[in-house]
Amino acid sequence: MSRKLWLSTVTMSIVLLAVFAASAVAKSAKTGAVGGTLNADLTTDVDYTDPALDYLQTGWEIEYATCLKLMNYPDANGAKSSQLVPEAAAGFPKVSTNGKVYDFNVKASFTKFSNGAPVTAANFKAAIDRDADPKMQSPAVAFFSDIVGSDKSPVSGVKVSGSHLIITLTQASPDFLARMAMPFFCAIPTDLPHDPNGVLAPASAGPYYISDRVPNKSITIKKNPNYKGKRPHNVNQINYTVGNSLDAIYLRTQQGATDYAAGGIPPASYAEAAQKYGINKGQFWVKPILSVSYLAFNHDRPLFKGATGTALAKAINYAIDRKALLAQGGYLAGKRTDQILPPGMAGFRDASLYPLKGPDLTTAKKWMAKSGVKDGTTVEFYTSNRGAAPLQAQIYQFNLKQIGLSVNTHLFARAVQIDKEGTRGEPFDITTEGWLADYADPYDFINVLLSGDNLHASNNNNVAYFNDPKYNKAMRDASLLSGDARYKAYGNVDVNISKDNPAWAARANSNNRLLVSSRVGCFTYNNIYGPNLAALCIK
Amino acid sequence: MWAFVLFIAVTIVTYVIFYAIPANPARLACGQRATAECIKRAAHYLGTDRPLYVQYGKFFGRLMPVAGLGPNNFSPHFKTPNLGRSFTNRLTVNSVVLNAAPVTASLVFGGAVFWMLIALPVGILSALRPRSLLDRIAMVFVLVGISAHPVWIGLLLAYFLGFKAGVFPITGYCDFINPSGNCGGPVQWAYHLVLPWATFAFLFAALYVRMIRANVMEALGEDYVRTARAKGAPEWLVMRSHVLRNALLPVVTMLGMDIGIALGGAIFTESVFGLPGLGKTAIQAIENFDLPTTQGVVVFATLCIILLTLVVDLLYAWIDPRIRLT
Repeated sequence: MSRKLWLSTVTMSIVLLAVFAASAVAKSAKTGAVGGTLNADLTTDVDYTDPALDYLQTGWEIEYATCLKLMNYPDANGAKSSQLVPEAAAGFPKVSTNGKVYDFNVKASFTKFSNGAPVTAANFKAAIDRDADPKMQSPAVAFFSDIVGSDKSPVSGVKVSGSHLIITLTQASPDFLARMAMPFFCAIPTDLPHDPNGVLAPASAGPYYISDRVPNKSITIKKNPNYKGKRPHNVNQINYTVGNSLDAIYLRTQQGATDYAAGGIPPASYAEAAQKYGINKGQFWVKPILSVSYLAFNHDRPLFKGATGTALAKAINYAIDRKALLAQGGYLAGKRTDQILPPGMAGFRDASLYPLKGPDLTTAKKWMAKSGVKDGTTVEFYTSNRGAAPLQAQIYQFNLKQIGLSVNTHLFARAVQIDKEGTRGEPFDITTEGWLADYADPYDFINVLLSGDNLHASNNNNVAYFNDPKYNKAMRDASLLSGDARYKAYGNVDVNISKDNPAWAARANSNNRLLVSSRVGCFTYNNIYGPNLAALCIK
Repeated sequence: MWAFVLFIAVTIVTYVIFYAIPANPARLACGQRATAECIKRAAHYLGTDRPLYVQYGKFFGRLMPVAGLGPNNFSPHFKTPNLGRSFTNRLTVNSVVLNAAPVTASLVFGGAVFWMLIALPVGILSALRPRSLLDRIAMVFVLVGISAHPVWIGLLLAYFLGFKAGVFPITGYCDFINPSGNCGGPVQWAYHLVLPWATFAFLFAALYVRMIRANVMEALGEDYVRTARAKGAPEWLVMRSHVLRNALLPVVTMLGMDIGIALGGAIFTESVFGLPGLGKTAIQAIENFDLPTTQGVVVFATLCIILLTLVVDLLYAWIDPRIRLT
């Protein structure tokens, strides 16, 4: 009896499995044959799909395809992709002589919202008013606080007159146009609710719209049927699946079960992918991100104060092994650097300041001698316990030991590290940090990360607590310039700080390493938002 | 009563652990260019600007199904327990848990069927034929099952059966009902869960084979079994009424506890196969310092363990006539 029971159980299981497999394989094959649909895989969900709240790279990548903005970045590769062009605006705005009033003429007859509503200047005002509503808790507030009356909604400094959107600022801000190109300020329906929890699938007027989102499961993007503009809009639909592991995403992309590894692939697989598909030859793309990774020297601490501190900062810049540090991020993780601004950012001027190929211990030791720091001095070093950071911490420890510094490493969860290093008075000497461009203007790097004018008791971005009156003035002056003069001034500030009074030891600019399936074509990469979803097509 | 005390203790411990970590969820909510004003507003919105005991009190108040007494002080006002909103995406934690729980339940109950389908026949046959070839093969299976990590097993299955053979999907989940897109319905649901079930079942099947084998062997040596055989009872009747009935009592206890714990989140299996269940939700919530979501999963897991323990106690009385509820 027992043998019969055993046999029948096994037979039954095999039959059931075969039935499931056969029927489901047939259905999957049929689904895969649908034309015009791309599939993308994400490991974790976007934070929001509401433009007022979304502040993560993946979400912005989607919004680059769905949003209609006054000014936008063109669908082009390389440096051109970070040069602003008018989109819903008929041209560049008229700016008053004092630089405080911007007059945009909104002409967007080439598109309507996905729900059929026309686009007018009021839709852009609605976006700013919604961002400004304290109820919304929008992170956008950091980017329009210089608009008159921005602390209340509706914002008094934003007026609509016919097709004109007139924005008045409290002071001249030449980076204002770049900020207006952020997804926070894209056209929204005037009746979009001011819901602090965000709207999952808001109507939009760009080439695509989010038709459906099931949090933590899927995002569906469809072609906006009312869009007749110049921006590409090739595939009919893009389906995001949320939650797959990196290993699974890698296998699925190779298999063709998904077309775009939006969540990335395992760090150990980049070399294999490069070998299999070549680099930038159709499937495996390596493109720069406007970012910088660095060691910030805490200028509030005695070690980094004054001329001796400057000498120590230079010694460390000569002593660290940027090549070994970058290698911890995996194959093609980025490009070594010794400057604040990343290549690709307007104003960047390549200057050879510190060794990029490996440490220069002889020069480092000379600067150590000038600093007067005693051999064996302990340095309190903060870093995160995530990804390659612990491995890099070991390299730093070794490098600094070569010049007589004893590194006391403190590993924290990333959120804890951010909180601790952002608090003035926290007892650290050096911390590891990174910054990703919010928008394509050097202000977002230089002033935000290094101006002494922005120091607070807590929540600092200037975690070097760098506060040099000479450079504070240079940063302020640069921020008021426009055009080439602005970029030249920022380029000078970058090189001068890095060379003469290093607040950091910049070490790398990261790469975006992207894998797509063999059927994906028309790959275009935007320096700010990453892969251009609107331009992707099926071969 | 003790279940209620356990429940309170678990939620308090979670709160205290969370607040021992010096991270600021309001700062995270405001992104990399966080301003003091944004952080202040976010802290107020999230409720993290209040003392710990106030926050816990509010959490507990929201969780209670009774809002207060009516005007005549006799009719209580009932309400839906509310787990709050996520710190990271502001979704209601009720909806997060309710969306994730069916996924985990699908994995756990399906996996339990899988492992019992393997463990029962193999365990019983091993006990009936100790030291036979089948028994030795079964013990090797047990050794591998207990030793191998579910992540490793899952990745192997996904690679060979999903990627190389293309028989099953590598990852993903389809809803049993309310399908989104082309993925949904019972067939796709089961098809996508075959590999996760197999992975999940592997470890437990190994444990249960060992346990069933030991219990059946012990029961086979009991006097009442010998007596039943001596009286001429057929072998199947001896097995069903005397051996299995007694041997399976501890198995039922273990099954109830294991299912209860696993319902709190089968973290490894869900992560490997991209299943949006409670385990994966909890991991993400912990990484993002999202207390309400973490607490929501903890509350749900605690309730599952308490409920499953109760169910096991009731089943005991049904299986074993010697045990009666008082």
